[in-house]
Amino acid sequence: MDAPYYTIVNPLTLVRLPRRLPHTGELLVNIGDTVEATQAVAQCVEPPAFCIINVSQELGVPPKKAAEHLKVKIGSEVKEGQILAARGLLGGRTCYAPMHGIITGFGRGRLLLEAPPHTTTLNALIPGTVVELFPDSGVLIEAVGAFIQGIWGNEQESYGVLRGMVKNPRQPLRAKNLDPAVQGTIIVGGIQLDEETLNQAKAMQVRGILVGSIPPALLSKVRALEFPVIATEGIGEIPMCDAIFQLLRSLDGREIAVNGHMHSRWGPERPYALVPMPAANASPVAPEQPLKPGSRVRALRAPYRGLSGEVVAIQPGLTMLETGARLPGVQVDFNGETAFIPYANLERLL
Amino acid sequence: MADEHTIESIMIADCGTVSTKVLFLERVEDSYRFVAQAEAPTTLHAPWNDISTGVVYAIEEIERITGRTLLSGGFLISPQNGMQGVDAFVVTLSAPEPLHLLVGGLVREMSLESARRAAAGTYTQIDTVLSREGNLHSPEEQWARLVRDQAPDVVLLVGGVDGGAARPVMELADAIALGLSMLEQERRPVLLYAGNSTLRPALVKLIGDITRLEVVDNVRPSAEEEHLGPTTAALERLYMETRVNQTPGLDTLAAWSRLPLLPTATAFGNTVEYLWHATNQADRGALGIDLGAAHVTVAAVFEGRLTLSVHAQGAAYGPLAWAEAQGLDPLLRWMPEEIEPAEVWAWLYDRQLRPWTIPHESREFLLEQAALREMLRYALAQARPGWDPGKAQYQADVMPYLDPILISGGALARQPRPGQILLTVLDGLEPVGISTILLDLNRAAAALGAVATVKPLAAAAALEDGTLIPLGTVISPLGKGWSGEQILKMRITYDDNTTLDVEARYGELEIWPLLPGQRATLELRPSRRFDVGLGGPGRGGKVQALGGLVGLVVDGRGRPLELPEKADPRRKRLRRWLWDVGG
Repeated sequence: MDAPYYTIVNPLTLVRLPRRLPHTGELLVNIGDTVEATQAVAQCVEPPAFCIINVSQELGVPPKKAAEHLKVKIGSEVKEGQILAARGLLGGRTCYAPMHGIITGFGRGRLLLEAPPHTTTLNALIPGTVVELFPDSGVLIEAVGAFIQGIWGNEQESYGVLRGMVKNPRQPLRAKNLDPAVQGTIIVGGIQLDEETLNQAKAMQVRGILVGSIPPALLSKVRALEFPVIATEGIGEIPMCDAIFQLLRSLDGREIAVNGHMHSRWGPERPYALVPMPAANASPVAPEQPLKPGSRVRALRAPYRGLSGEVVAIQPGLTMLETGARLPGVQVDFNGETAFIPYANLERLL
Repeated sequence: MADEHTIESIMIADCGTVSTKVLFLERVEDSYRFVAQAEAPTTLHAPWNDISTGVVYAIEEIERITGRTLLSGGFLISPQNGMQGVDAFVVTLSAPEPLHLLVGGLVREMSLESARRAAAGTYTQIDTVLSREGNLHSPEEQWARLVRDQAPDVVLLVGGVDGGAARPVMELADAIALGLSMLEQERRPVLLYAGNSTLRPALVKLIGDITRLEVVDNVRPSAEEEHLGPTTAALERLYMETRVNQTPGLDTLAAWSRLPLLPTATAFGNTVEYLWHATNQADRGALGIDLGAAHVTVAAVFEGRLTLSVHAQGAAYGPLAWAEAQGLDPLLRWMPEEIEPAEVWAWLYDRQLRPWTIPHESREFLLEQAALREMLRYALAQARPGWDPGKAQYQADVMPYLDPILISGGALARQPRPGQILLTVLDGLEPVGISTILLDLNRAAAALGAVATVKPLAAAAALEDGTLIPLGTVISPLGKGWSGEQILKMRITYDDNTTLDVEARYGELEIWPLLPGQRATLELRPSRRFDVGLGGPGRGGKVQALGGLVGLVVDGRGRPLELPEKADPRRKRLRRWLWDVGG
């Protein structure tokens, strides 16, 4: 199959997106349920913090004798600083609880103290209908709306109002443009952002950023943010592809779900953004359609990286690149400039 | 399944991390002939989530190339009936994620090093190492927390020679047991014990029904002895069980094939072993390097013994992590032109995000070649401590004598010009003496290694029938000289008895014509300080050389290869060498 890779950039499509718990847990919805973005669909108990208290060592007694000095039992709840074991009176030794928790085990002279468990809930993130349950681990939600796949995300997710901040995809996001009006919104930049802009976005409490690319030097800072940042093109200095920019621009002011996850226990994922729509007649994209003149595509490698255009002709045979490689591919019209792009460096926009 | 003598056609699918290759071989009289090859994306992950989809794409391409009907209703037709279907279907895989390991042991240079080497024998990734070293406060708590939080696929516990240290090993085991017991039952990893054998009963008692315990021979039964085989075999079995057999869509492929599925690295190792036996030179090893997108497999055979190591530093996914650890300097030294670090970092990320893409501009192509050189060097540095080269190791600080050297992997094989591939290999491996370099152009080596486990004659016939393409014969004199010094005189006598007298100079790469399929007799006369592997410095002799896509090459750049420190002369020299090989 020629150019099998694709990115969905679609103003109205039907998608099915999984929502998964990080650990085994409990599902809170059923098949057929309609869910809102902020509605909890599943929950799980996080592995608790714990500590091992070496009673034998702290009291200076052999492990076999440590049990004689315990002041707590397995299963008992203890407060931070509570006496767990003691030996002797004046001048004796005492062993205190380093944190609040429950005594869950004792052996070889050591106590196991676990913090009280806390529960994590998983929101639907995208408004839609539950169409499948993954036993103890998550749900599959069907939704309709404008859907855009990114290429890099910082493992965060959020829901908010979409707000464009630049006039064209080659314009960078600037700190000076981020005023208090962006609070609670998901903002759209063009080519990239800088550290000052990130700090300003954080200070203004934005809920997310969609941008063309992220400079390599900024990645660790972006990863540490608590709101999602998605790059639609990659890492470096690449303008947002025109097809994505124009679609986002047309959706300004609407609510948008942004998911920046790239990894999960179930394998790699693609970051995405979804603007829910009330339409009932949307259909899923058709990736099996062959590439043909008129197909929307995006180039993936320099010198055309990030440019979107339209296939004007399937190039017969093999074409030689600057590197000497001879490859099959197509002629693509990038807003008036036509260039040969090998299939390997092309993806379809569906 | 038809018997071997009645097998008319074989189809082989190799599912790599990024691409799936399918080969079609056909019987012609007593031999098997390579008919067609096709490639498609590996469809293990989203949006396909079914590994068989990519195989079907590639088979459809073979149908287009050959005009045959191989699929019916999305299923492979077997056995062959006239121009329809195939008689045998073989699958090798490296696409599934590696087995994630947490390794516990006592001494880094002893049992833990042996554990690392045993793990490198198959597709594993060591995420965490637990050891006494580092003066940990409350190590039991930290160990238990790591086991619980990492939730690896397998905990490999080693340590203590047989009959040796007991208490430190049991302390580790105790903490591991605690960490395991805090995980949900279905997420508890297998505990593989390959330590002090006298502790086995205590381990069985301690672990009880907390998790599945597997016990194999001690990786380090004594301080001097290393016994890696059983641990590697157990890890490979666990990889097949927990990764390969859980691959979505594998059941479809398994239904088409009655032959066992094999990890690609194991199959590749079989081929390199065959090549050593085919050349049968006791004083030479055979080396195979498969530079895949996610893994580098290094298969070395000395005196008939195969040492296989798999490293998670492949051509697409490896360079970024490697550069984060090493910095950019080792990479930039191979660049024949100046480039900004920010551009290199962006390229490294992009390479990982879109591993299937191909350099369009020369600048990115040069970066890719630089990264490939370093991935080769890194893989060799990891693999070589595990080799036992015997007589092939002439001098400690250079490569042992290796002939042939088999090169495989998409990133290398798809370089546009044979000379570019050869130069990358010479810079990455720095072979010494006389080596025939074979290129696995159709990426058939692993697949044929898999065929060899059940149909050895078919595999041998296909290998001997030109499936592996010679790049050429390379003579790499060992020694140090000064630039331009004459280091070797050589008389080339071709098959038609014409002769050519040539000289090679220090610091130069020289290439003389010797076409694919052509053979020549070389009469080598190295100067007295240079050794070409014929008995010592200054010792020459007659050898047979095989022609190839590049020809007959003398790499007179010295070993170890030294690049000028200053940027301008270094770049000039790199450009010159690239020019010399026609790149």
